[in-house]
Order: sequence, then structure tokens, then C-alpha cells
Amino acid sequence: MICEECGVRPATIRLMSVVNGEKVARNLCTHCLSDVKKQLPNLDLSGLDSMLANLIAATKKMGLSQEPEVDLTCPRCGTTYEAFQKSGLLGCADCYGAFREPLETLLKRIHGQTQHTGRVPGMATEDISQKIGIYTLKQQLNKAITAEEYEQAAELRDRIRALQQEMDQQELSEQEAHAHDGV
Amino acid sequence: MTEYRAPEQDVVISSRVRLARNYRDIPFAPQMNQDWSGETIRRVNESMKDQQGDYRLVRIAELNKSERNQLVEHHLISYDLLKFEQFSAALISSGETVSIMINEEDHLRIQGLLPGMQLERAADLAFKADDVLGADGNYAFDTQWGYLTSCPTNTGTGMRASTMLHLPALSAAGQVSAVLQTVSKLGLTVRGLYGEGSDAKGNLYQLSNQVTLGRTEEDMVKTLIAATAQLADHERSLRETVREDDSMSMLDKLMRSVGIMGHARLMSSAEFMQRYSDLRLLAAMDIVDASLSEMDQLMMDLQHGSLNVRAGEKMSGQERDVYRAELLRDYIRGIATK
Repeated sequence: MICEECGVRPATIRLMSVVNGEKVARNLCTHCLSDVKKQLPNLDLSGLDSMLANLIAATKKMGLSQEPEVDLTCPRCGTTYEAFQKSGLLGCADCYGAFREPLETLLKRIHGQTQHTGRVPGMATEDISQKIGIYTLKQQLNKAITAEEYEQAAELRDRIRALQQEMDQQELSEQEAHAHDGV
Repeated sequence: MTEYRAPEQDVVISSRVRLARNYRDIPFAPQMNQDWSGETIRRVNESMKDQQGDYRLVRIAELNKSERNQLVEHHLISYDLLKFEQFSAALISSGETVSIMINEEDHLRIQGLLPGMQLERAADLAFKADDVLGADGNYAFDTQWGYLTSCPTNTGTGMRASTMLHLPALSAAGQVSAVLQTVSKLGLTVRGLYGEGSDAKGNLYQLSNQVTLGRTEEDMVKTLIAATAQLADHERSLRETVREDDSMSMLDKLMRSVGIMGHARLMSSAEFMQRYSDLRLLAAMDIVDASLSEMDQLMMDLQHGSLNVRAGEKMSGQERDVYRAELLRDYIRGIATK
């Protein structure tokens, strides 16, 4: 394929961009790509992580970000928030705690949501929905307690208990069934 | 003879579910070192040792470039795993339906991969391995944010579910960009054959979920199944329209590809992908009697790295094109046209 910019050299890279909501692809040679990159000095094409990092930096520069200047360091691995902004990658699980506030804003921007719903570790595939149910209710319970909405908290606590009992019953009857199988 | 076909294999090449997981007590990719990477590999081996079926452990540093590319071309590992070559490994099941990438951008990338439209089963394969690997409660997990991943774009479920689609009629009708816009509204995205930033060679497209936080795995998988089914139906109706409207010129164009594949002496990778797309369409429409599974396997086997591995040596560009053409002629001789 020939470079669409110079029409001479072979195209070695496909540059994807969004112009007025339309996805546009251009096949370029490395020479013309560097010219295009000069017109867009903040553009780094090495991958999604750096794209994310650039997105954070660019929105900040343009004053679009609600994110305050952050000077944070993860106490466990020593990763700074600034280093994360450059690489787009966190250093360890504790970084999530250390950068909680700015990450909340970022996660909201990426996913539109900040509350996980779905699998939790150690769950067997069969009872996913019940465990998710209990898990989500527990989340709501914590929120209700923090907000001092005790009436709602009591109601949630009862629902969790009922679900938990239901699951225990099921487990018991499954064990009994297995015991019969063994006979 | 009619071959056994995986569900919706005329349009859907494969279904894949990949889960990103990390151990909470081990530093993530940017802070990874030799000791920690050895520990993640040890844990995966230990957890999976009692599982049914044989798994083989592949250490990337021990493979040559062609062998590495072969694994990427067969979708058993990602290109990104090669970036971390000194630390990375993969545990691959004997049927190649489950592979666990170790020390990629996340400690674990657990993948279930099946032919045709079998997304729920692919998810089950990945979840089963996930249950085993996470049984000791050692995963990095947050009650609000779910599974914690190195890059926040995967935080939450850590799940990337995808279907690989063959869309020659949609591509020819110039409707792919319209599809792109529509699926993005459902939290889905379209990529080329080998993921992020790759070209849609051979009219192959990967449809996958974009969002990982705030929607359950089940919800996302169902959305992807519905979108895939819609796209597949649309592709089929376009194929039929072309067949009814201008059957002879379509047939002529596609059968010329078969003729070329049966006689060419040099076959570049780019030309091969186009010819493969033509032949796959003929087989999917039952005009040529050939197995879609075999054809899709051949498509991967005739890629750059896989050809070198098969030849047992690193070939020059032209040598590879000669070898690809030779294998393709053999294959074409073995199939019958109606």
C-alpha cells in the first residue's frame, strides 16, 4: 500500500482519527507520519496506555478537567500520581487506595460508572446472581450507615439476612443430595 | 458431504472472553521484576496443576521470534505479552480453548476461546479457570471498583468479551463505519483481526465490550450476543441480496479468487487475506464444499510466523510467499467446487 500523504513511499502505519464524529483511517509512511505528528505535538501512537495518559494530560491543559493538581505517592510501591499520568499504568493494588479521589473522577470519565456490579473473587459459577445480590445489598447498607439513614439500613440488613438464609438452605439441601448420591 | 459447523459459523469465526486479574500482594507490570514474575508463574502452575486436561507452560523468553508470532497469530497470546518478554509466560490447554497469559499488562489474562458463536461457553471456560486461580482469595479486588487492574480502562469486571466476524458483504456495501457508530452506543467497539490498532484484513472484525465498570459480565455478554446476532443477520441478508441481484458477477469475482489460489506461485500475506475472504464467503454460502473450521485454521497457519515455524527456518519475504502459495495450491486441490 502506498502512503496517502506523499503517494510515493510504502505505507507502514494506519493512523485512525475521529473527525466530526466520523472515524477516518489514513495509511501513512513513517516519514509523513512524523510530519503529521508535528502538527499534533501531543499525539503519541504507541498504544492505549499512552493514549489514556495523553487524554488525562490534554484535558488538564485545556482546563476541561475537574481533576485538581495531585501530588500523591503510593506508600507501598512508590508510584507517584504523576508517573501514573505519564504511563497510564498503576504500580500495585495499593495505588488504588493512595489515588482514590482522582481515580474516582477518572473511572467515572472512562466507564460512566464507579460502582462494580458483577463477579466477586472465590464465587462458584452457579450461585453468581445470589452472591451479587448480597454483595450489592451490603454495599448499599454501608452507604446507608454512612449517610445515617438507619431506617433504610435496617431494611437492607433484613434483606441480606433473608438472602443469606436462602443460600444456606440451598447449600444444606445440596449437601444432603450429595450424601444420598453416595449411598 | 456437509461438515459439522459451530453455531453461526457462516459469519462468526470465533468467540472469546478474556479476564484481567492481579494478585494483591505482587506489584503490577510497571514495577515487575524477575523474582515477582517467577512467583506469579509459580502460583498459576500450582493452582492449575490438578485441573483436568493437559496444560503446557510456555515461557516467552525461551521462544524464537517466529514461535512467538505463531502464538499471537493463533490468538493464544496477545502482542502485548511479547512486550514483557523477560517476565512473561502462558499456560495453554491442550485443545487451545483456554489460555492463561502470565505477566502481561496484568498478572493474569485468562482466556476462553471457541469457534463460532459460543460466547457463553467461552465465558464459562474463562470463569472456571478464574474460580480455580482466585480460590485462595489472593486477587486484588475492591468492594467499590471490583477487580483492580494495571490500567483503569479494565477496572471492574476486567472482562473483554469479543466475537470475530467475517463481514465481506457489509464491507463491500460500505456500511462498516455506520456499524461502528451504532455499536459504540451499546458500550461496544470494533477492531481489526489482531486487536487494538490492527487492520481489518480479510474483512474480519472483532466486536468487543468497551466498558468494564458498572455492568455485570452477564449483562455485557448478553449485549454482545444480541449485537453479534443482529450484525450476522444483516450480513446474511446483504449476501442474499447480492446473490439474487447479480449472482453471476458475484460468482465470477469469487471463483476467480479460487482459480488464483489454485495456481499462483507467489502469494503475499495481504493478497492471501483477500482471497481467503472470497473463498470463505463461497463456502459459507454453500457454493464451495469446504470446511469453515479447516479454512479458518489454514488462515492462521499461513501467517508470517506460523509459516516460518512450519518450514523450520526463517525465510525471506519471497521464500515465504512461494511457500504460502504452495500450501494454498495443495489445499485448493483438496476441496470440491459445486
